[in-house]
Amino acid sequence: MGENGETKRWALAGVRIIDLTWLQVGPQATRILASFGAQVIRIEWRHPAAVDFLRYMQPFAPDHATPQGGRSQGAARTHGIRGNFNRGGYYNNTNPGKYGITLNLNHPKGRDLLRRMVRDANAICENFSPGQMDKWNLGYAELRKLNPRIIYMQTTGVGKFGIYENYVSYGPTAQAMSGLTFMSGLAEPHPPAGWGYSYLDHSPGYFGAMLMMAALHRQRQSGTGAYIDLSQTETGMMLTGTSMLEYQLTGKPTARYGNRMPYLNWSPHGAYPCQGEDNWIAISVQSDDQWRSLIEEIGSPQWALDAQFANAARRKANEDELDRQLASCTVLEDRYDLMMRLQARGIPAGVVQKAPDRFDRDPQLKARGYFVDLPHSEIGTWPIEGFPAELSRSPANVGGLTGRASPKLGEDNDYVYRELFGLTADELEALKQEDVI
Amino acid sequence: MKTQSSLGSSLNQTVLLEIGNELGDYAGMLLAGFGADVIKLEPRGGSQSRRVGPFADGNPERSIFFWRYNLNKKSAGLDLDEPAARPLFARMAARADIALLSGEIETVERRLELWRELAEQNPSLIVCTITPFGLSGPYRRLKSTDLTQMAMGGIMAVCGYDPGANLQYDTPPIAPAMWHAYHIAGEYAAIAILAAANFRDLSGEGQFIDVSVHEAVNTCTEIALPTYIYNGQVVLRQTARHAFPHITQFRLSKSRDDVYMLASLSPFEREARAFAELADQVGMEHVLKTPEYKQLEKEDSRAAYTYRNDLIEQLVARLPAQEVFERAQALGLAWSPIRRPEDNLADPHFNARHSFARIHHPEIGRDLLYPGTVAGDGEQPHMSYTRRAPGLGEHTCEVLEWSGCGRDEIEKLRALGVI
Repeated sequence: MGENGETKRWALAGVRIIDLTWLQVGPQATRILASFGAQVIRIEWRHPAAVDFLRYMQPFAPDHATPQGGRSQGAARTHGIRGNFNRGGYYNNTNPGKYGITLNLNHPKGRDLLRRMVRDANAICENFSPGQMDKWNLGYAELRKLNPRIIYMQTTGVGKFGIYENYVSYGPTAQAMSGLTFMSGLAEPHPPAGWGYSYLDHSPGYFGAMLMMAALHRQRQSGTGAYIDLSQTETGMMLTGTSMLEYQLTGKPTARYGNRMPYLNWSPHGAYPCQGEDNWIAISVQSDDQWRSLIEEIGSPQWALDAQFANAARRKANEDELDRQLASCTVLEDRYDLMMRLQARGIPAGVVQKAPDRFDRDPQLKARGYFVDLPHSEIGTWPIEGFPAELSRSPANVGGLTGRASPKLGEDNDYVYRELFGLTADELEALKQEDVI
Repeated sequence: MKTQSSLGSSLNQTVLLEIGNELGDYAGMLLAGFGADVIKLEPRGGSQSRRVGPFADGNPERSIFFWRYNLNKKSAGLDLDEPAARPLFARMAARADIALLSGEIETVERRLELWRELAEQNPSLIVCTITPFGLSGPYRRLKSTDLTQMAMGGIMAVCGYDPGANLQYDTPPIAPAMWHAYHIAGEYAAIAILAAANFRDLSGEGQFIDVSVHEAVNTCTEIALPTYIYNGQVVLRQTARHAFPHITQFRLSKSRDDVYMLASLSPFEREARAFAELADQVGMEHVLKTPEYKQLEKEDSRAAYTYRNDLIEQLVARLPAQEVFERAQALGLAWSPIRRPEDNLADPHFNARHSFARIHHPEIGRDLLYPGTVAGDGEQPHMSYTRRAPGLGEHTCEVLEWSGCGRDEIEKLRALGVI
């Protein structure tokens, strides 16, 4: 029930998704679908070599965390508990709202069970290596025979079809290939700084959710299915902005600009040091008026009144010196105090927030309820990152249908196999004995 | 593989009215790629995003930025804030499916008042706003740009270069170029609008959607938040690799033709075998017989990583980047050159996949290739881009006729200066 006693209303009510994804890029998409009320059944296999890497990747929940506790018991460093796949913090953040079952697709009976599940599902998602599902005889062509309405989404580094079809890729590989890594960083001779994480495990996940939503909408309207061959590298290319067009028009190779703004007369435009260790503020001055306000706010130092900074064009032309001088002033300031003083004068300024700033301090994220506390059956209740938009009638809720953070490995075997797919307790037990479930 | 047609027409018959700036351009274009009829309602002088560079031929009427983010759309020129335009908006709202309002909160709030009234007349209307911090909360009136959003959303803190001695950073955090705060927010806006479209299929109801750029950026930093939430640790930014609680091994190498490569070896049997084969191919087989190699090829220690990275550096320096790439990939190593975006224009793989949309630009008398799709159905792209960004007011008459205005009414609006 919602706050006003209204029943929660899910945008994807009645949608069932068979989720064979793992790592980040695939589960990111199904996470979003689950948060709109799709019944996402996450299939994993419990053999240690097949378990999702995120289940045994840092950060882990602290060893002292119990089912009744969670973050209220405090954060702490740990290397995890050997052989325990249920304590991954990043896994927990990536897979809330999903049902978790085990299924051995290397076993013919496992594949039969999957076919049975696909018959009345709306969609199936996977991000195995490109040819894996075909090897199991579970590719789109096969599954479509069982269920002509099925939406099949496959996410790979460079796409399944084409010349590079067997190329292997992780987020960073796709980023390097797409041009995104090159574009990030200070001008030559500095090397590219790239991204400090797999951006192309996030964005293609957003596109995955988008493509699935478009396909589900069409399925609802016309009963049509779809095959979706989603490529991380192409997603990255989509995000390279105007660089490819500029190159075609001017022949000028793409360059790096650090934090500066090459396309508008905005200056100063960058990150400047503040008091404390590795503390920075981003300042983005868009006009001469803002520049004059900025000077006043930092006490009208002599250097700032120099003719070389008198207007936007001159500041742009002397940006190295401008950045050096401005940094010598900001370094004496408290970062949040300076941000709010500049904001009071209408200047876009924002602290370069680190995780503690965002989690403990950011009053906007708090007021908007960005972090959602959700229980996990073994490690207790932890804050999970939310959905960044409010919908008035069919809100997103990262706890989805389960009202829970991530599932333990195979946690929902009984519910899914018996209640959803009608297996008897004996059948289930036999399949466990045969190493199918 | 013959499939059931591209999703490029899945929003056919859906009309989206777009009013705003660069915070919303991309979201509108994404939905236009699924076939939505996106009508950009632009004020006198045109949208703010028409004034963002770079410009073709240095001509300020030819914003490449505007071209890139407004494919497939129509443009109608209207005075958006003129009271006399209200009846016209009412007609449009009655016929439209989605209204997308973006920009500074003051502007969006003012316009939203009208759209709340209009939505009462058309309860199936979906109204989505994209503002810097969302419509509520203590920061909602703060000013922002793409750069400051990348800062406050946590991306900058995890991107940049290795610290110097004593873990002191002498370079600033980096906001990866360019416009990614608006990319992320635009993608979430498109997702939320599609979710609302799915809800409308079930219920017939529209709704209001409030997208916050700040929150959107915050969702996109991988392990940064969980590492703090679970372990109380802060990840450190480092050159071209993952931010992590400690500094990991530097691993950029350069090819014979001076291209940076992303190449590394993990301590796995499979990768050791692949590397041995690669070393053999390029005349480095002598390395494989050394005692160091035998000891360090599969060890999971800092010394072993350093050793393997040195070998990779030597190997990569022997060949041009494309050749390293092809040889390594053929052996199952996930290595890649760090390409410039334009390097992909001639790549046969992406051309075979129709990754680029060829768009004709009569104003410069030529075609341009746009990276236009992220997915295909085995034959064609799922997001379909066929039309260049519109000129200001290019479709005003068509849009007014669609809204049901008669000729007399159009003349009256013209006389009032509304169009």
